[in-house]
Amino acid sequence: MAASNMRDIKRRIKSVNGMEHITNAMKLVSAAKLRKAKSTFERTRKYFHFVTESIEEIFNNTSEVPVCYLKGNREIKKTCFIIMTSARGLCGSFNSNVIKKAAEQIAECKEKPYITAVGLKGKEYFMKRGYDIKGEYMLPPETISFIETQEISKPIIDMYNSEQIDEVVMIYTTFVNSMEQAVKSVTLLPFEIDKDPDLPKLEKMVDYEPSVDDVFNYLVPKYVEIMVYGAIVESATCEHAARRMAMESATDNAREMIEELNLFYNRTRQAAITNEISEIVGGADALK
Amino acid sequence: MPKSMQLEVITPSKLFYKGEVELVIVRTLTGDEGFMAGHTWAVKLLDAGELWFQEAGSKDFRVTAIAGGYIDVKDNIIIFTDAAEWPEDIDVERAQREKEKAENWLKNPSDDDSEIARAKIAILKSLTRMRVKEGGHRRKR
Repeated sequence: MAASNMRDIKRRIKSVNGMEHITNAMKLVSAAKLRKAKSTFERTRKYFHFVTESIEEIFNNTSEVPVCYLKGNREIKKTCFIIMTSARGLCGSFNSNVIKKAAEQIAECKEKPYITAVGLKGKEYFMKRGYDIKGEYMLPPETISFIETQEISKPIIDMYNSEQIDEVVMIYTTFVNSMEQAVKSVTLLPFEIDKDPDLPKLEKMVDYEPSVDDVFNYLVPKYVEIMVYGAIVESATCEHAARRMAMESATDNAREMIEELNLFYNRTRQAAITNEISEIVGGADALK
Repeated sequence: MPKSMQLEVITPSKLFYKGEVELVIVRTLTGDEGFMAGHTWAVKLLDAGELWFQEAGSKDFRVTAIAGGYIDVKDNIIIFTDAAEWPEDIDVERAQREKEKAENWLKNPSDDDSEIARAKIAILKSLTRMRVKEGGHRRKR
């Protein structure tokens, strides 16, 4: 009996060992991908503010801007949610955090919202629950180019312009540091902006060509596109960070388990030997 | 020697170019336009086309292909574009293929107006790429 028990334990040690190898390898892969994604993310973040600044500058320096993109121009009935999850699993609570936040916000909506899903996990979740998935992007996000993100954001802007939707909210994960990520929701449209009296007026006249309206109507959708692009890049960075963390703790747990099993195995082995000796001694005593 | 100013060309993913220049020529929605230091402040929308600039102290122009965007002319110039490419990074065959693909769309037009518009932009972009690769339409001056 003891022998079969020992064989069982040995088998378990072997399988846990295999698992430890896999999670450890995945951890290293994620760490490498994280490094790459992080450098892209940092590069993009540096130039983000230019477009927002230009919008604010126009807003603060001209009296008549078109109102269609601004907050309060129409009642908010239909909302479109852009939800960024990962294409693959095994990344800890990364996806469930985003989905939880999204579900919370969706519950507050009066009308059933549209969903644009980036990443498979979010799409699966909301499709199962019968939401309208208006757009999706399923490829791994770390290789996405700006032109590709335009294919995601263009239909959303078109829907907004044709008044099919009145609000665009994006839910994604922001990168705090490699250990910490936070889910964030941002309202992209309508654009919320205030006349900021602190901002100094430009000292010279600025020529807008073809016209102020055209420039403004170009910049706001561009802002949406850039925000979507930036969020995808950031979310990809977070995904790798989350996966690296998850895999690290999985590896640690596997190692701990192997240690315990080894101890248990040795104990069982020792017990079997003790048992055998005591049997022999008992037998020898009986012969005296 | 004319005064110089700083030019920054920014794409969503990186800072494409930064340097001191004397003259910048871009294609705005209303036509080609050149900017030198001391220009009136302006914000203009750009069409897909060539971007020419002359670096400070240099006689030659550098040319790049850009995919539309806007130019912000203040004391310095900032060009924000969706994509920019140096001639040496352009793959002519790919541009040719893309142009043919877009032309096929136009030959079999669907009812969708936006698709026609997209095909036209695609053709314009690949034409720009090919021209830039050959040194631009302003090759000799």
